[in-house]
Amino acid sequence: MKMTAERWQSLTLGIVGIALFLAAWEAIGVNRLAGLTWPPLSAVFQFMFDPTKAQLFIRAMEASFSMVILGYVTGSVVGIALAGLVHVLPVVRPGMDRLASVIHAIPAIALAPLFIVLISREFTGMAIAALNVFFILYVSTTSGLNNSTAGHRDLFQVLGSSRTTRLLRLDLPAALPAVVSGMKYSVPAAFIGAILGEWFGSSRGLGLLMVSAMQNFQIPLLWSAVFIASTASLIVFGLMGLLEQFVYGRYK
Amino acid sequence: MNAPLSSAPATAPEAWAINVDHVGKTFTLDGGKELKAIDDVDIKIGQGEFVALLGPSGCGKSTILRLVAALEDVSTGRVTVEGSNPTALSRAHRLGVAFQDHALLPWLTIRDNIALPYKVAGRPVDDKRIAELLALVGLSGFEKARPRQLSGGMRQRVSIARALVLKPDVLLLDEPFGALDAVTRRHMNVELQRIWSEQRITTLLVTHSVEEALFLADRVIVMSGRPGRIIKEIQVPFARPRSPDVQRTMEFHHLADELTLALEPEGHH
Repeated sequence: MKMTAERWQSLTLGIVGIALFLAAWEAIGVNRLAGLTWPPLSAVFQFMFDPTKAQLFIRAMEASFSMVILGYVTGSVVGIALAGLVHVLPVVRPGMDRLASVIHAIPAIALAPLFIVLISREFTGMAIAALNVFFILYVSTTSGLNNSTAGHRDLFQVLGSSRTTRLLRLDLPAALPAVVSGMKYSVPAAFIGAILGEWFGSSRGLGLLMVSAMQNFQIPLLWSAVFIASTASLIVFGLMGLLEQFVYGRYK
Repeated sequence: MNAPLSSAPATAPEAWAINVDHVGKTFTLDGGKELKAIDDVDIKIGQGEFVALLGPSGCGKSTILRLVAALEDVSTGRVTVEGSNPTALSRAHRLGVAFQDHALLPWLTIRDNIALPYKVAGRPVDDKRIAELLALVGLSGFEKARPRQLSGGMRQRVSIARALVLKPDVLLLDEPFGALDAVTRRHMNVELQRIWSEQRITTLLVTHSVEEALFLADRVIVMSGRPGRIIKEIQVPFARPRSPDVQRTMEFHHLADELTLALEPEGHH
């Protein structure tokens, strides 16, 4: 990746934009422009980095992020595996497509009570995260597996390739850009799912912190939890973006 | 070197490396309308013979190549390659094809692209053979490069190396240099002629260039379009290996004129 003038410009503009956003946040908070529930950024940071609160946040982060990771991995594996299955067994494709869209069409909120009964309160967030991630990866992988060009398919046929060899050496590598894009876009979905799930009576996690802070009017705590969750999601999203760039450069 | 098997009995169908036996091909279009791409085409290619199929674009010459490669099925007639159904050849990994679009896999290095036929055939990769072919197509030292880092002519040479790597019995070339500029193309033809003269594999080349067909082939078959039919056939008299100077002889020019005339729409009545 070369740092061209264009890249520098977009990077500088990005930093300026973020700085403006944070400054506006601070200014609105300090001047109470949006009332009591909008604290200045400095107040949120002060609360967040208070050493006596460290333990609280670390425990909440451990609980939430482990659910995010678990849900993300489960959803990805199931989504990619089922997409692979319908690619090899095209007969089941229409049925599976419909099932995936029906599940996706039901709001996660409506399913949450079901998960609480079926699994447990602690794993409801993970289940919603997995469901969100599953749908995105199922869709991106099924479409990705058809991304090989007609010329490449002809090549494998004249080389006398078996179906399995073609899947491994052509369809999967050709699908990789779409899969990685799906993995990028399912990062926020996994965070939303996990944190939303914790609202339904989980005993730990950032979602629980948010709900209890909201109910007890602990505004800096609420904003801290939101800030941590958003930052974590953005960082992972950014890292996946870098991976996506690399994969697009090589596989497309 | 495999000289053409002139001793084989010409009457038995097995004597022909490729036998396109009175073949017709009709495509059904989206609206249900039928399009006759080729009609009653009869081509016999002997072992170790290089035949060029010459014709304007859309005359069905690529369709014939795709029938021989078992990428399409015939509507009427029959195609046999080495005495059996064309699919048998590709299933046995004994067919080499270079397409107009190089069809290199962008995620593999040049070395791995040429090694692909071994992997698909489930055979151990012969790195000596790959090195030899890379030298043959003048790309030694590019093993670790990726297709996008190469020029169009270089990619085309890699795709020819890939077509040759398993020492196929039959080589099919579908306008492999069609997308190249005239200078590169002439250069590639000289290279291909040199490579082919060393290996003498039964080859069917599809092209719309008169000079390319004459310079490379033992026999040139001219087709007219819609539906594709054979209208002329000439034997190319130049001895091999051919030097590029052949293209400047009177005889070459004379044959080129004859073929060009045959290609013109009013040339055949």
